[in-house]
Amino acid sequence: MSIDTKMAWRNIWRNTRRSILTISAITFATTLLIFMLSWQFGSYDTMINSAVKLHTGHLQVQARGYNDKRSIRLVVPDPEAVGAILNQHPGVAAYTFRATAFSLASSKERTYGVMVMGIDPEREAKVSTLKKLVRQGRYLSAEDNLQAVIGKLLAENLRVGIGDEVVVLGQARDGSIAASVFRVKGIYRSGQDEFDRSGIYLPLKTFQDVYGMRGAVHEVVVLAKTLQDVETIKQDVSTRLEKTRKKDQLVILDWMELMPGLVQSIKVDLGSGLIFYFILVVVVAFSILNTFLMAVFERTREFGVLLAVGTTPGRLTRLLLLESVTMTLVGIIIGIVLGCIVTWYFQVHGIVISGTAELMSQFGLPERMYPRLSVLATVIGAGGVLVITLLTALYPALKVRRLRPVEAMTHVQAV
Amino acid sequence: MRKDLFRTGMWVYILLVFQVVWHAANVNAFDAQAIVKASFDYWRGKTSVAIVDMTIHRPTWERIVTIKAWTRGEEDSIFRIMAPAKDKDNGTLKKGKNMWMYNPKINRVIKIPPSMMSQSWMGSDFSNDDLSKTDSLLSDYVHEIIGTETHDGKTVYLIQSRPKPDAPVVWGMQKLKIREDHIFLEQAFFDEDLKPVRAMSAHQIQMLGNRLFPKKWRMQKVDVPDEYTLLEYKELSFDDNLPDRLFTLSNLRNPGR
Repeated sequence: MSIDTKMAWRNIWRNTRRSILTISAITFATTLLIFMLSWQFGSYDTMINSAVKLHTGHLQVQARGYNDKRSIRLVVPDPEAVGAILNQHPGVAAYTFRATAFSLASSKERTYGVMVMGIDPEREAKVSTLKKLVRQGRYLSAEDNLQAVIGKLLAENLRVGIGDEVVVLGQARDGSIAASVFRVKGIYRSGQDEFDRSGIYLPLKTFQDVYGMRGAVHEVVVLAKTLQDVETIKQDVSTRLEKTRKKDQLVILDWMELMPGLVQSIKVDLGSGLIFYFILVVVVAFSILNTFLMAVFERTREFGVLLAVGTTPGRLTRLLLLESVTMTLVGIIIGIVLGCIVTWYFQVHGIVISGTAELMSQFGLPERMYPRLSVLATVIGAGGVLVITLLTALYPALKVRRLRPVEAMTHVQAV
Repeated sequence: MRKDLFRTGMWVYILLVFQVVWHAANVNAFDAQAIVKASFDYWRGKTSVAIVDMTIHRPTWERIVTIKAWTRGEEDSIFRIMAPAKDKDNGTLKKGKNMWMYNPKINRVIKIPPSMMSQSWMGSDFSNDDLSKTDSLLSDYVHEIIGTETHDGKTVYLIQSRPKPDAPVVWGMQKLKIREDHIFLEQAFFDEDLKPVRAMSAHQIQMLGNRLFPKKWRMQKVDVPDEYTLLEYKELSFDDNLPDRLFTLSNLRNPGR
């Protein structure tokens, strides 16, 4: 251990209380940042997963151009072949087939424009939350034929209840007119008005008959085991699709491409979060600056003596920096450990914000929210504190260089 | 005194010029209005009965529907699909600004809600609005002659039609080409930024229903040249005596006749 290191270490512990306060400020900032970032990332995971389960799935295989044009003619002609590809991937939790058509829905006297969706009732239940969202009546079963599950607001607009008839009129795949009469079997409510106002679900077989789909579907909806699996599934399926004869016709899209709005709202939220963290770090930095500066003022006479016996100003600066770096590192290391422990605890046990459970369940969100500990959150949290603290430490360390030995030695101590 | 007199004279002169210009503008507007109205009357007749093949063309497919259409004045019309067999007897009734569709398979009549009026009619490039608001061009727009050209030796008026300030229309402007013998040659639709959106043009002008009439009409979107809808008149007769009961919901529901 060189003499400088030894001096720095001893200087730190000369005023134990102040050093411990400084270290604990750094520790606190690091812990808080790591936890908050993990919480934020975790809540995005929850948001994405629940949005994905509400409707789009993590990934969809569609005909090229279908996502923009929504034309009934842009189909996945052989959904089972796509299913066979998906079965081979371990990251796929479940998948289902859907067909969609824009149509008119009419009760006795009222008519609205709607999205009619054909779903496989059993597979759909494994991919989306639709089954749980049915509030009145019952969800579709495999034997159902001319039965429909419709949105709550649509039911109100059409003024229909369970067992009432709804007429659907639209355009079939071949351009002919598709028309049929359904009985309302169930009514769902997701909390998203747009969705509750325009959705009608039919059994897929019935949809395919009415709309002349000849076995084709529009979307193969994939639910991944975790959000982290999405990218690998996408690449894997994409290369496998390339090898099939239909490579020019089918594409696989991930949730970011399917729900660009969600990605944007996450970006906005992350942006405002980062501003908050920046303010937090700046506040911590000022308190650290305060203690560092105090330490220098207190030791003005000592520095004067050191300069007088021939210590170079550069060495003094190094000494001071060494002291602050040591304190910062100690604080950050404890902060990382503490932050990880706290985050990990809540990651296992979850957090219930009291009073919101009912609200959350209405929107299909789980009642417990979980932070997600990640290397990224830890690095950003610890790194942010490290950089700003070191920048703060530079100021007093450089200030020392301007001291004149004689003046410094006669400096009257403040306390 | 002379100076005052001169000044008064100048004012009178200016007023006169103003009046002449004003009058000319009015005459122009009035003329344009009359040309469009006359063309509409010629196009529709008092009544018309037509059989039309509608071809919906898309890059990868094409569909032909045969439609029988009855119209009376600008308010009433009824359309019935005759072929293909799968869609036979589907019908559309238009009375004033209201529209209903009938489907024989489910034996129901559905009223088209206002929010759906801008949607495509039977998958074609025509919207429900095109059918239900044909008279909107007469009542909701101010017309102005912006030029002339010749076509088959006849004068063609180029007319610019702008919607009246509070008119419930979706277009920012329309441009019409109407030949002096009342034949509608082209109708171009512009959005609110006055960019062209689509245009309907008339082709193969010949004798149909005892008057010169374009046999083919083509509705074309501007930005997708390979997508269009073509109307081809197979039969056409004007000014038949059409009974009131033809344009009723019960007739829409009874395709037997």
